[in-house]
Amino acid sequence: MVTLTTDVLVIGGGATGAGVAWDASLRGLDVVLVERHDLAQGTSGRFHGMIHSGGRYAVKDPLAARECIAENRILRRIAADCMEDTGGLFVTTPHDDPAFAERFAQGCAQTGVPCEEITPAQALREEPRLHPGISRAFRVPDANIDVWKTVWALAHGAQQHGARILTYHAVTAILRDGDQVLGARVHDQRGGEDLEIRARVTVNATGAWAGRIAELAGIEGVRVFPGRGIMIAMNHRLVNTVVNRCQMPTDGDIIVPIRTVSVIGTTDHHTDDPDDQTVEQREVDQMLDDGEKLVPGFRQARALRVWTGVRPLFEDAKAADTDTRDVTRAHALLDHEQRDAVNGFVTITGGKLTTFRLMAEQTVDAVCRQLGETRACTTASEPLPGSERREHYRLGERLARKEADLNGEQLICECEMVSRQRLEQVIARTGSTDLDDIRRQLRLGMGPCQGGFCIYRATGVLHARDGLGADQADASLMAFLQERWKGVWPVLHGDQLRQARLDEWIFHGVLDVEHLPR
Amino acid sequence: MSRGFRYDAVVIGAGSAGLVAATRLAQAGASVAVLAKGVGCTHLAAGTVDVLGYAPELVSRPLEAVAALTHENPQHPYARIGQQRIGEALRWLQATLDAGPLAPYTYVGDADHNGLHPTALGALRPSALVPSTMAAGERTQLERVCIVGTPALRDFHPSLCAANLSRAGVQARAVSVELELERADMSTLGIARRLEEPRWRAEFCARLTPLLRSEERVGLPAMLGLREPHTVHADLEHRLGRRVFEIPSLPPSVAGMRLYESLRAALRAAGGRLMLGAEVVSHTREDGRLSAVQTGAAGHAASYSADAFVLASGGFASGAIELDSHWATHERVLGLALDGVPAPGEPRFLPDYQAAQPLASVGVAVDAQLRALGASNVYVAGASLPGAVPWREASGEGIAVASGFAVAQTITGGRERHG
Repeated sequence: MVTLTTDVLVIGGGATGAGVAWDASLRGLDVVLVERHDLAQGTSGRFHGMIHSGGRYAVKDPLAARECIAENRILRRIAADCMEDTGGLFVTTPHDDPAFAERFAQGCAQTGVPCEEITPAQALREEPRLHPGISRAFRVPDANIDVWKTVWALAHGAQQHGARILTYHAVTAILRDGDQVLGARVHDQRGGEDLEIRARVTVNATGAWAGRIAELAGIEGVRVFPGRGIMIAMNHRLVNTVVNRCQMPTDGDIIVPIRTVSVIGTTDHHTDDPDDQTVEQREVDQMLDDGEKLVPGFRQARALRVWTGVRPLFEDAKAADTDTRDVTRAHALLDHEQRDAVNGFVTITGGKLTTFRLMAEQTVDAVCRQLGETRACTTASEPLPGSERREHYRLGERLARKEADLNGEQLICECEMVSRQRLEQVIARTGSTDLDDIRRQLRLGMGPCQGGFCIYRATGVLHARDGLGADQADASLMAFLQERWKGVWPVLHGDQLRQARLDEWIFHGVLDVEHLPR
Repeated sequence: MSRGFRYDAVVIGAGSAGLVAATRLAQAGASVAVLAKGVGCTHLAAGTVDVLGYAPELVSRPLEAVAALTHENPQHPYARIGQQRIGEALRWLQATLDAGPLAPYTYVGDADHNGLHPTALGALRPSALVPSTMAAGERTQLERVCIVGTPALRDFHPSLCAANLSRAGVQARAVSVELELERADMSTLGIARRLEEPRWRAEFCARLTPLLRSEERVGLPAMLGLREPHTVHADLEHRLGRRVFEIPSLPPSVAGMRLYESLRAALRAAGGRLMLGAEVVSHTREDGRLSAVQTGAAGHAASYSADAFVLASGGFASGAIELDSHWATHERVLGLALDGVPAPGEPRFLPDYQAAQPLASVGVAVDAQLRALGASNVYVAGASLPGAVPWREASGEGIAVASGFAVAQTITGGRERHG
């Protein structure tokens, strides 16, 4: 068995794990990160894409609000290229308690969340699709973030400082000798081999799965309470500002415009299984109804796709068993040396994407404590690769690039304006043959046609690489179609059903994908 | 005030079902108008006529397989159309092409036999009739083949097509021809128009010839001309000194557009009218019959009354049948009752992408003569019909052509004007 040796082994390739790898490698530590799937394929990639101003927590959870606004400001500096500065609005609709607005304004003032009241008329000028009956409107600095771009930037940054990022490597055992955790045994799910990774400190950054990894290490009582929620992407920017209902946080009260779509979220159901990706019909109905409350006519827009994210909520004995929203959103850092007298092991879980950097900072602080070393954190000022110019993403960036060279560039995916050159670059850089992994890098096939046109093209481009067999290309195509369908069918209706039938026509009627040689 | 028009028959929809029905009605002496929101399935489909390809195993003799299929599934459109009329309808289609503006370009094959023809992915797809420009690609004739593409064509990837054909036992390889084009993006339609220019065609052949090996057939995406496909195809075969065939790829479908043009010409020759941009927005019903439909074409409304109506407006893909956001299904053109709708609580879709989706076989409820239930002078054809899973069983164009043919026959009572 191959053995790797490192200072820090990070388990989990979501925003937190990649953030820990980036932070630790900037501090000069040697890092190996293992992820059982692709990067950001778990909870990090399955949220609505919002960077909170803190407004959402201003009344209910002031500590979370303060953390959010501080991190929001930092992320705008260090991950500028991954973010779009949409701004946010909190609006009082006829469905909301009008008295909450005052508490909201006070809460923002007390927690330092910038908040400016504007007239409903001004809010409607800026966002004409909003419910015309809104009575109050507050402007806050919410934003959106392309989480895949962010996590890849963290991983690339870490790699540039010597970190090794091993995706599709699943932990099968935590190595332990007495009171000391020595690392982990992992299985390379693509190569089929096992390797042993020996580390001075092992970081469990597996979010909703953290209890399972802690159990592998023989540590009791790390209980993460998975809260399952759905999000639906609609095919337009129904709004260009993040829109929140001005009320105590509840289901379906946020619409986030991100890239070419808008995402509504979310629901909240307890589940015992962090891999649970159930979408219930009543949840879909609830989201569509909630959408109508913010944007009348919401049901007439095309629902592209639904997905389920599982929040990692660290158990709090005070919370009722049924409503996971009341469990604190604050993160939990468990230094197992202090907690369990087990050395070389740290668990970070809970929290929210907006505060991933802070979570990583505190985690690596704990790692350094265990190592008995003093190394300062620099992630609050060091821009991620690609964000050095500190310019935010703008909607229309890809269009501008295409228009600059209108006839010279071939578009593979028209919905998301992905050119052939960019597709070929990503295939070459990642060496990936998995169209779904490539999708997350480029947003390929994520627009209205959900891959109807571009995926045949992308399969052709992928196959034209040296050495890839038609069987592999076909398998990647079929896997992509199945993966897309998973998110499409539970919300399929209206004009999106027309689109899905056209896609089926292309793949079955014209290409006969079902009867490729086996 | 809306303008009023009167016809013997009004056909709603300009896909292959609507155009076949209208042409047959006009040929039988009826005054006919086709009202359509836009062009139909022809521009999207492969351009072949697939009667029955999978049941669910690969079908080699479609008419025989139709008998077994309809025995097992009496709700299938073919059960109401009847085997005999499928054959008649296909022969009529061939005769119509033979007499049309693209002749000698026509459809070859018959309803008793399927040929296997390569797709752009390199799968082998069963079809009863194919355009004459596709005929040389039939599996039994393919030993050695060179699949040809060009980098500007993002909708056709020769190496993938050839590699899958190789897996299926054909000696296939791929070449890519560099063409001088002003754009990095070309559609098959754009190249089809270029290939109709003799000089451009000669240049194309000159670049391709040195890449070919002896005894290789040449497979190209379906782009060998729109108005003169026979000339383009024959000239390519002559210049390259070998058999050449077309392969269907992503929409827009050049071969399907040729079918549309041929049927449109036949309709006009028989005296029928075709109005695109004429979406039916309302209708008048009296005593269980449809008396008139109204269109909302730009700037003015018009009302069309007729003795008989043919609804060939398509299924979910065209938007004529809708599943709304409260999960209710509607026929949106005439408000007719639907058949095959999954009961509340039953799945509309299945999580397996490969499965035949329950909602796919929803259509307008009809009687044995393909008349809509509740509207005795409305006849239903094509993808508006319930009971089939056209793209999975490879029966879409067959149902369209045969049902369009059948309802026209029923309406005219078999009358036909000759000469």
